[in-house]
Amino acid sequence: MGSIYMESLILAKSNLSYWLRQLRKEMALIGPLKGENNDIVFKTVENIHEIILDCPALIPSPKEFIFPQKEDMFRFSKDKVENLRNDKKRLIFGVRSCDISAIILFDRFYGEKFVDDYYMSRRNNTVFISIGCNNPDPTCFCIGLGSGPFLSLGFDIQFSDLGDRYLVEIGSTNGMDIVKKFIHLFSQPKKSDYDDQYEAMLSSQARFEKRINLENARQKILFEKVDDSFWEGVAKRCFECGGCVYECPLCTCFNVIDRKYSETEGIRIREWDTCMFRGFTKMAGNIWPADKKVMRTKRWYFHKLIYYPEQFGKFGCVGCGRCTITCPGRIDMATIAYRLKVGENERKAD
Amino acid sequence: MKERLTDLYLPSKAKVIDVVDMTSDVKLFKVMPEKTFKYKPGQFLMVSLWGEGEVPISIASTYGVREEIELCIKRVGPVTSAIHSLKSGDDIGIRGPFGNGFSVNRAKNRDILFVGGGIGIAPLRSLINEVLKNKKDFKKIELVYGSRTPSDILFMDDINLWQKKGVNVILTVDRKDRGWRGNAGIVTEHIGKSRVSFKNAHAFVCGPQVMINAVMRDLSSRGTPEGNIIMTLEAHMKCGVGKCGHCYADGKYICTDGPVFSYKEIKQFNLNGV
Repeated sequence: MGSIYMESLILAKSNLSYWLRQLRKEMALIGPLKGENNDIVFKTVENIHEIILDCPALIPSPKEFIFPQKEDMFRFSKDKVENLRNDKKRLIFGVRSCDISAIILFDRFYGEKFVDDYYMSRRNNTVFISIGCNNPDPTCFCIGLGSGPFLSLGFDIQFSDLGDRYLVEIGSTNGMDIVKKFIHLFSQPKKSDYDDQYEAMLSSQARFEKRINLENARQKILFEKVDDSFWEGVAKRCFECGGCVYECPLCTCFNVIDRKYSETEGIRIREWDTCMFRGFTKMAGNIWPADKKVMRTKRWYFHKLIYYPEQFGKFGCVGCGRCTITCPGRIDMATIAYRLKVGENERKAD
Repeated sequence: MKERLTDLYLPSKAKVIDVVDMTSDVKLFKVMPEKTFKYKPGQFLMVSLWGEGEVPISIASTYGVREEIELCIKRVGPVTSAIHSLKSGDDIGIRGPFGNGFSVNRAKNRDILFVGGGIGIAPLRSLINEVLKNKKDFKKIELVYGSRTPSDILFMDDINLWQKKGVNVILTVDRKDRGWRGNAGIVTEHIGKSRVSFKNAHAFVCGPQVMINAVMRDLSSRGTPEGNIIMTLEAHMKCGVGKCGHCYADGKYICTDGPVFSYKEIKQFNLNGV
């Protein structure tokens, strides 16, 4: 966030833990750690050496830290209302380019017209260190969307792993702030460092297994008119679990609920909601505007493929592949885009 | 981006100064906001009761007529039920005004037809009173208003006043009861009785979804241009500011792009189940 600096430095890998340890004195440090079930999740870092440096885009996505699944908004009592806006300083280490691309769009969504103060307060107080992806996962398709595997702008700090050192690119004032005080840990990059970064990018680009072009899918919907039977078929495979929405780094919908502790005291919270649920649009008086499942599944794809580009000039998808991993019905974004392209009949056995 | 953040979701206080029982399930709340604000007919407020929740309610009063704000609220869900238990002197929370609101500039020097159904008269009342402030700017002004039963007719005092000011009012009810000598049936059965010139008129419509859709089709078949058939829509809303996503439909937020749309837009964006 803030005006765009572009400065590149070199950080020896042996200096990373010292730097993070120093930063942790000023702010909470969150990074990829082993979870209870041997998976890798973003957690508050207790031991810096436990940070996992070579992980893929994690599930759940780091949107949790700027748009939590459940966020307290207000505490109210008989004669007082307290705003519980979170402004804790945080450093989130080890997010991926796709996540940063999603956050750039989040910033516009929550920051334009009416500024969402809960989001902005967290966002302004959070610094992200993202790591360019040398080894994309088989489910990744950011390359077709320009949202990875490396970014050229929009990040706070981007690391490129060059073996024994990182090329550190600083893209925002928040990013600059955490480097400035420890500038003695960094050195100036040489031309060979940029060459190494370029090589890492090229080799990463060559490793993508999925080449998905969402623009093809968009044009197919807009100009060739996709038959409703296509969307009926998609809806049939939807379990309405809401998994895609929860894992999607770009799904922004929330519900607001009051919880009472007593007659006069309680809290107002907001929590993630999903348009895949039938009750999402339900109105008092028993009115169900999105009664049919096909309306809801179609709405999700149309929002991401048609209306996001109309509103923001970008797809509502960053190709992180999380819905591919999560969706039990195999109607994730990549699959649907592929099916739209080849047509339902010519679909190869998958 | 480091500017001071404003409390987008913090309701400000308003005091209930009067509660009028209008029908068995509709009450009119007159509220005095702590901080006064300007508003347009067709805009709405997020009305909040701590511990109960928040609901979008359209404003039934007209800016500049009286100082207090009037909210006509039907008891349909948990929050509106809780609001119904309020008495004068109680506090409520309000946020807003939100939404685009009605604009009558394009209707100047033309006939205006208002079509309301049930509680849909509330936002229209705000607009009718606004139009009557400058009555000479418009030609014929007419209202077709449908209710469930004669005792469900809202704002009868206003209706009498509007008639005195020259508004031609056609009332109809779904079910007659004893003593009702007026029309029966749905509003579309009585729109034809209106004397406005349909081809040039501007129509403002509010009511249940089925009624709105029927009226749009009816007026369109009478030759009213689709861009001149204006209505205000309802949706499930949690924020009122285009963030929570509940009212999002086909690329439009009912709360910020609407709630007022023309039939033309509604067809274009597939809103309201059309």
